[in-house]
Amino acid sequence: MSLIAFWGAVELGLVYAFVAVGVYLAFRVLDFPDLTVDGSFPLGAAVTAVLIIAGINPWLAAFVAMLAGAGAGLVTAMLNVRFRILNLLASILTMIALFSVNLRVMGKPNVALINAETMLSPFFGHGLRDFYVRPLFIFVLVVLAVVLVWRFLESDAGLSMRATGANARMARAQGVDTNRQIYLGIALSNALVALGGALFAQTNGFADVTSGVGTIVVGLAAVIIGETLFGTRGILMALIGCVLGSILYRIAIQLALSSDVLGLQASDLNFVTALLVTVALVLPRLRRGGAA
Amino acid sequence: MISVSDIKVTFGKGTPLQKQALNGVSLTIEEGQFVTVIGSNGAGKSTLLGVLAGDVIATEGQVKIGTADVTRQGTAGRAGRVARVFQDPLTGSCGALSIEENLALAARRGERRGLSSALGPQRRAVFRERIAELNLGLENRMRDRMDLLSGGQRQAVSLVMATLAGSDVLLLDEHTAALDPGMAEFIMTLTQKIVSERKLTTLMVTHSMRQALDYGHRTVMLHGGEIVLDVAGDNRKNLQVEDLIAMFRKMRGQTLDDDALLIS
Repeated sequence: MSLIAFWGAVELGLVYAFVAVGVYLAFRVLDFPDLTVDGSFPLGAAVTAVLIIAGINPWLAAFVAMLAGAGAGLVTAMLNVRFRILNLLASILTMIALFSVNLRVMGKPNVALINAETMLSPFFGHGLRDFYVRPLFIFVLVVLAVVLVWRFLESDAGLSMRATGANARMARAQGVDTNRQIYLGIALSNALVALGGALFAQTNGFADVTSGVGTIVVGLAAVIIGETLFGTRGILMALIGCVLGSILYRIAIQLALSSDVLGLQASDLNFVTALLVTVALVLPRLRRGGAA
Repeated sequence: MISVSDIKVTFGKGTPLQKQALNGVSLTIEEGQFVTVIGSNGAGKSTLLGVLAGDVIATEGQVKIGTADVTRQGTAGRAGRVARVFQDPLTGSCGALSIEENLALAARRGERRGLSSALGPQRRAVFRERIAELNLGLENRMRDRMDLLSGGQRQAVSLVMATLAGSDVLLLDEHTAALDPGMAEFIMTLTQKIVSERKLTTLMVTHSMRQALDYGHRTVMLHGGEIVLDVAGDNRKNLQVEDLIAMFRKMRGQTLDDDALLIS
């Protein structure tokens, strides 16, 4: 694996760290299996790309992308809370609808951002090679997001969200409006995922309607790898685990695909992903000495 | 103060399974009074508790807690007025959160929850002190997850949680039923201490006739969704567990071998 390929993997891992943190909020904090992310990731990319091409400031474009993602999350939450549709099914409905929405937003299956002004543009050309600048820039944003989410989850408001996922009946007895927590949590989760999509579009120079396929698996893979390697002690450790899990996942994929010995090609990606997640799931059981 | 007037609750209205769980129950509990509630299975004890807690919305009638009419209010909405300890120790607290996080949640029951840190040094000190009063050594395990505690320990912490924030009424839902006899006694002693120290208006549902007569100021017996016995003062002092069992028997018009095992 070349240096550029390595830093490319780190960069992609950092972009998907937003997805991992979002998935952590939905799956782990709220115990809400949310597949909306497969639609909100490309939604974030599409909204950003279209706005940037329209001449909007790329930071503002990323912010609007987050709002769009939050909106998608609110739809899923409403289907679940208001109309009592099973959470998994509610999210699948939103996800499939978003595919059409994303095509409408872009007007075509993909939009190129080559030579367009992005959030990163001001940081290029100051002596640091581009393939260092990109991961460094995203790293700073990831740290910011992790700190904010961490402080939120350890606040009074965040505690009521965690209680909603862990024991809704107890949460209600403590005066927590659990329905509102689901709206809030799923919106926040999808806003983060959409931000991931926005950064993906800005670092890779394009938005594509198919780029969302499997986002949930990648996000879950990161969460599970993080939990396997760093345990689940404390919110901060779990969030750091999400980020490192996401990076390690990309490096592992890159290693597998670039090793000549294995003879794998890019099209084997999904199989390798499934294998990695399975290993990450089985490993802790083996370590505990029980049968897998 | 609790004031329940002519409450009717019908489950599954209009279906073959329609059940009249409460059939015109009226009950006024004065400020600071400790009332115990007994009754056989299906008598309506849990439904009455649910109506007070907000889990069950009454089909007819009015529920007032303190000065407020809460008849149509859900559980979360009236949580600021109602403190509660559940029968199942797993229900009353969050297993996935630490002891101190559970306490932090309870400390803001019914209040707005902001973005400030849930566990500042000041709050931690208060929580530690309150937990130390239990003499269970849990004050050194404040960061342990709740699900590492035994059922009895969890109920003890739940009792502390119920008193961290102010409330108009304390509801105890057979909160010793899932515990071993020793632990049940410990929890009852603790309950007695907390209720009398804080002069809490309390309603305790119990399966144990002994508990119903030994604790509190007043005993209410439910049967078939109605109040069939309401005793306090000297009448209650003279009442024996055997009398209650006899009453149960008369009510059912049959011998009740299985219940006799439960209630003796």
